[in-house]
Amino acid sequence: MKKPPVKSINTVAKRFAGRSELVLQRKNIRESLVSVAGLIGRPVRYQGGKEIGRLVDVVVRHGEDSYPPVSGLIVKVGQSKSFIDGARIAKLTQSEIQLSSAKVDLTEFIRREGESLLDADVLDHQIVDVNGLRVVRSSDLYLAPLDREIRVVGVDISFKAFIRRIFPGALGRGPIPEHVIDWASVASLAHGTGVVRSTESRAALGQLRPADLADLIEDLAGRERSALIEMLDPDLAADALEEMEDDELQGLLRGLSAERSASLISRMEPDEGAEVLRDLDDDHRESIFLEMDASVAKQLRKLVEFDETLAGGIMTSHMLITHEADTVASALTLLVEHKGRDISDGVVVVDGKGKLLDHIQIIELIAAKPGAALSSLIGPPYPTSVNINTRLDEVIDEFANNRGSSIIVVDEKNKPVGRILADDLVDALASVSNASGFAQGSGGL
Amino acid sequence: MATKQVISPKKIRIAALLAVMGPGVIAGLSDDDPAGITTYSVLGAKYGYQLLWVLVASTAALIIFQDLGARIGVVTRQGMIGLIRQKYGARSGTLSAGALILANIGTMTAEFAGIAAAGQLFGLSKYLSVPIAALVVSFLVLRNSFARVEKIFFLISGVFIAYVIAGFMSHPDWGSALHGVVVPSMPFTRDAVFIATATFGTTLAPWGLAFIQSYAVDKRLTRDDLKLLRVDVWTGSLLTGIIGFFVIVTCAATLNKNGIQINDAADAAKALEPLAGTLAKELFAIGLIGAALLAASILPLSTAYSVSDLTGRPAALDDSPREAPLFYATFGVITTVSAILILIPGAPLIKILVLTQILNAVLLLPLLIYMYGISRDERLMGEFVSTRTMRVIYGLIIAIVAIAVCCMLWFTIN
Repeated sequence: MKKPPVKSINTVAKRFAGRSELVLQRKNIRESLVSVAGLIGRPVRYQGGKEIGRLVDVVVRHGEDSYPPVSGLIVKVGQSKSFIDGARIAKLTQSEIQLSSAKVDLTEFIRREGESLLDADVLDHQIVDVNGLRVVRSSDLYLAPLDREIRVVGVDISFKAFIRRIFPGALGRGPIPEHVIDWASVASLAHGTGVVRSTESRAALGQLRPADLADLIEDLAGRERSALIEMLDPDLAADALEEMEDDELQGLLRGLSAERSASLISRMEPDEGAEVLRDLDDDHRESIFLEMDASVAKQLRKLVEFDETLAGGIMTSHMLITHEADTVASALTLLVEHKGRDISDGVVVVDGKGKLLDHIQIIELIAAKPGAALSSLIGPPYPTSVNINTRLDEVIDEFANNRGSSIIVVDEKNKPVGRILADDLVDALASVSNASGFAQGSGGL
Repeated sequence: MATKQVISPKKIRIAALLAVMGPGVIAGLSDDDPAGITTYSVLGAKYGYQLLWVLVASTAALIIFQDLGARIGVVTRQGMIGLIRQKYGARSGTLSAGALILANIGTMTAEFAGIAAAGQLFGLSKYLSVPIAALVVSFLVLRNSFARVEKIFFLISGVFIAYVIAGFMSHPDWGSALHGVVVPSMPFTRDAVFIATATFGTTLAPWGLAFIQSYAVDKRLTRDDLKLLRVDVWTGSLLTGIIGFFVIVTCAATLNKNGIQINDAADAAKALEPLAGTLAKELFAIGLIGAALLAASILPLSTAYSVSDLTGRPAALDDSPREAPLFYATFGVITTVSAILILIPGAPLIKILVLTQILNAVLLLPLLIYMYGISRDERLMGEFVSTRTMRVIYGLIIAIVAIAVCCMLWFTIN
């Protein structure tokens, strides 16, 4: 049976070249790796050799460091589990752990924020392999001395390391360094690690495409899923959320705090955000609105109220509105300011009363004199506009008849309130055909 | 235009249910595989209506644990073996997976044996029927998308209606059947204990439990689907019980009444001919082939999910073999090994099938205990952690299975 190739340290290193050095490339580190899986159950001794008990777990502290340091050990003494501070460790080898003093105060272990247990929380649990873009299980973790502390430096996701652990005795303990991936290139989703993560894995996650991230998020559940969302940059997380299936998204939001949900939804495109909110139950939606910036909440509330089979329910309220007296130069400046969004194909021009006059394409603006008034550019072809209460099928007809890439939505007074882009229409059609599921033979999956 | 049609809320509900349907019905019905039909046939032929209550108890246990398995899958997004590895360690995970692989190869061999026997009833050599069946199931699962594979599974399940028709054709004594369902009684003999334990083991099969969980993960069902999924699981498990009921009743009304002893489902079909007519025999054989094909598709799939899960490799029907090599390799190996086992002249088939049944029953116990442990783990299950009442019910079922398995092992040794 062939297993997928585990990315060698070199490939990983290339991806990270120029960002920071990976410690696993250092020879002395590679040669001093201690397997965590092999360490569990080994004796912990006082200075002088007297055994205190057997190692149950290794506690690490997550912080700004890329390689989390060991903050303590959980040792089974008699029938109870005790905590020994990491500063007491004098020697840590694959076969035993020796403390620096002849007597140590044993205290009860209490979980602290920002700490996780390597055996209970990370080993055999799911982690995100940032380079391979997948969710994998950690087969083993490796410790090594680095910057005067013992730290987690590597993780092994190979089947070989996993099988090795099945064997008894020393056979089951030795690390196989060639399969070890640098800790900085994975994202552990362990419990209790808080929101502070290694900068490398965070940066690497930041380079993923939103659709890939959405796939990763959909592969996870519950606590791990929330952990992944927490560690993402909010803008990126919002982009990924837009790529997710509707019902996945619903489930996801239920697992997040209202505050976090509000921050993510505010960053989504307004029409996408409104669509998510529309499907939530009233209490949940209200709790999220309460956490939002008042102006964003107001805008989204308006969108949510529209029926999603009407123009108002599928439009995005993002558009660039200019006045007919504005200059071409100011319109171009406005476009440059919003260049990151997909609304930057042109500007909507209104008259003194805010009524729709025209939509001017960016190419027309570039061709015109910078000092010219926008009113001089108004003329055919005029944009297609529909009333906010137009039904979806009529909107589709309008699109088909005019072959444009967007439609402007206006209210009763002919004031522009939003635009429908081709992709909004695709989304709307997809959700309609999803709702009818098997009835139309689309399969639902 | 699609958007112009107004969709009634009722239609949407049915569509939503159909979209969720699958894990429960497929996992449930594939428990009525040739091994299951054989067990039910022997139970009916030997004990008449007396042990029908064992089937009722097994079906109840099936509902409870399939429901739990599906819920664990949806909530954790992980398969059973992966969770065992995560919660109980590498050795427990590997041991469970190892036992599951062995048991699944044995069970898969039993499915092919069913196909071979049923084929022979229609005059088809096993050297033809078994390779064809192996190719058909591999092609079915490997060359189609998830949605289509699922639809084909549903279609195959349709053949189970054959058993219901055969049941009515045998004119059973409905009063005695009802008595057997409601009033438990148990002759404490080696054979009776074996067949009762085998009924538990084949109805509540380990591979079925592993399958429903992985399948719910692969189908990407969400917490919103849990209510509908429950309908699916109950439907599937009840159908499993109902089909088992008709098999037992058919054999009780004909074979038991005339004192005919049988060894397997194909024997039962043959013996039916003089008693209930050629059509009854053919229905029985067709049902057997359908059952074997369904289970022969699910078994390697279940094994492939479990192995991928243990190693943390990708496992999805919509992945290509290049994306999920381990998943597809496992599928191929299980199918090939089992097909070869059945075709080797002089292979100790009976021994393999009996050992498989014992292994399945023994393996069931730790799996149920692990599932129980996972169900009460709040860090894994969150708000879906099992309630006190449910824990008592799980414990009760585990105790019954433990007693049955211990009795079986005791009788095996003595």
